[in-house]
Amino acid sequence: MSECQHQWEMTNIRFGFVVFEKCSHCNGIRTFFSASGHPMVGDEYVEGEHTWRCMENAQSLQFDLQCKQCGQLEKFDDVMGFLYCTECLDDCKVAILQKKYAEKKTWVIVAFGFLPRRKDTELSPRRLKILEDYFNQRRDTSRSTIAVLSFDLIDDFSRCKGEFIHDVGMLSLEPPKERKPLF
Amino acid sequence: MDTEVEHIYASDLMSDVLAFGKPHSLLLTGLATRQSIISAHMAEFVGVVLLRGKVPKDGAEKFAREHRLVLLSTNLDMYDACVRIHAIRKRQRATPPAKPVEQSKEEILLSREFSIQGGDFANAGMVSTEVKSILKKIGLDPLLIRRVAISTYEGEMNVVMHARRGQATLRVTPQMIEVIIEDEGKGIPDVELAMQEGFTTATEEMRALGFGSGMGLPNIKNNSDEMEIESEVGQGTTLRMRFFIK
Amino acid sequence: MTVKELIENMGLKPLSQFDDREITGVFVSDMLSDVMAGAQSGNLWVTVQTHKSIVPAANLVDVSAIIISSGKEVPRETIELATKHNIAILWSELPTFELVGKLYSLGLATG
Repeated sequence: MSECQHQWEMTNIRFGFVVFEKCSHCNGIRTFFSASGHPMVGDEYVEGEHTWRCMENAQSLQFDLQCKQCGQLEKFDDVMGFLYCTECLDDCKVAILQKKYAEKKTWVIVAFGFLPRRKDTELSPRRLKILEDYFNQRRDTSRSTIAVLSFDLIDDFSRCKGEFIHDVGMLSLEPPKERKPLF
Repeated sequence: MDTEVEHIYASDLMSDVLAFGKPHSLLLTGLATRQSIISAHMAEFVGVVLLRGKVPKDGAEKFAREHRLVLLSTNLDMYDACVRIHAIRKRQRATPPAKPVEQSKEEILLSREFSIQGGDFANAGMVSTEVKSILKKIGLDPLLIRRVAISTYEGEMNVVMHARRGQATLRVTPQMIEVIIEDEGKGIPDVELAMQEGFTTATEEMRALGFGSGMGLPNIKNNSDEMEIESEVGQGTTLRMRFFIK
Repeated sequence: MTVKELIENMGLKPLSQFDDREITGVFVSDMLSDVMAGAQSGNLWVTVQTHKSIVPAANLVDVSAIIISSGKEVPRETIELATKHNIAILWSELPTFELVGKLYSLGLATG
């Protein structure tokens, strides 16, 4: 065990897109990060048993955490993003935990790995704890704290109506509806 | 490089730049994509400042150089960049220069065709850029050109994003400018629905997670004098836009 | 300066119910990814983004208040979520650039 009381900071920040693809045969969804300056689009393509089609691009970032004191580096390139639980399903483990945490003024945030979920890509409790420490070190914890949970707690992804903390519509051509264009 | 800046527009939303940005503005943004630079060019901005040390991606620099758009980069964030410009403005409070409006009296008849490749982001925006420079050479009213450029850009991006390939036709008569964009693509099942603001092409699952993207058709409607869409599912879409020359 | 003092000084319109707290500086961006990477605890966050996920993003980095600039209409669900978690959403008709000028004249520094 290291003696260092780690003080984490973000490093290696990469901006890009989280790309969502869907298979038209099995309805499975997969995601990946693209560091490109433009969204991914194009025709569907066949890969083994799957026929993938790009569904959505969300602007996002990837980062690693490094300890300011001892220099220890933790990579988080397997994190797709963070989700805020809207408690849409009463029997969802995240919703149940969130209600419990709320009493202690603790906010729950769900760390997402890329889809589909695989055993070898799950976020370990140790790494979730590092994320949690990082966000708490960044805030005034006398007011409230953050708890980071794994997306493995969500049983049925297709029923989840949580809020992804992603940028959507940055490149959208759709103007906001509330004002008329000036020209 | 030494161009007069009349307004500052601080935003990361390109739809806002296209819809609300004023001509001769300088864009301050943290979005370092090629599409930011093209959006600024279409909206007749003088340049773009990339904030927080971001570096231009995917040929953004080349595009800016070719179209004489000022492209600057700074380590400042949006707050500090705005503050510094406010400080300069306070010092000089210059009166904005009179805009030279060159109106050609000659009769013009011009017809040009361009092809657009679906999914080709490396060249996305090139057709509208070309249309813009042709109209500029003719010497039409800059505000009219800007409306044509923005509409053509939105139409072109729809082909890039949603179709296999397409063709744009530019026609200029003494009375009007017409731009027709035809594509071979999925088509729009319900044109009326797609015209509504907030319409999205995202699937149900994606919407459940808060994702969605529009097609920019309402902005085309706002910028053109006449607009028509014909679409057949599985075949393609034809978008006609007309802009009257006063 | 606290959030309540700022509201009085600038004539901002509060949209949600919130706990008053000290403002440590200002962060301006419309990209949640930038906010997550750069905003500091207690910062005032100026943005034109109004969708619901600005609330969890603001909370994750512990901002003191969100100012929606350029007169953007804020959806009711965003306001409700902010109220639920006592996060201030303030509203201004000024475009971002003009709003920043005013914040600076009140002596607020960058985050």
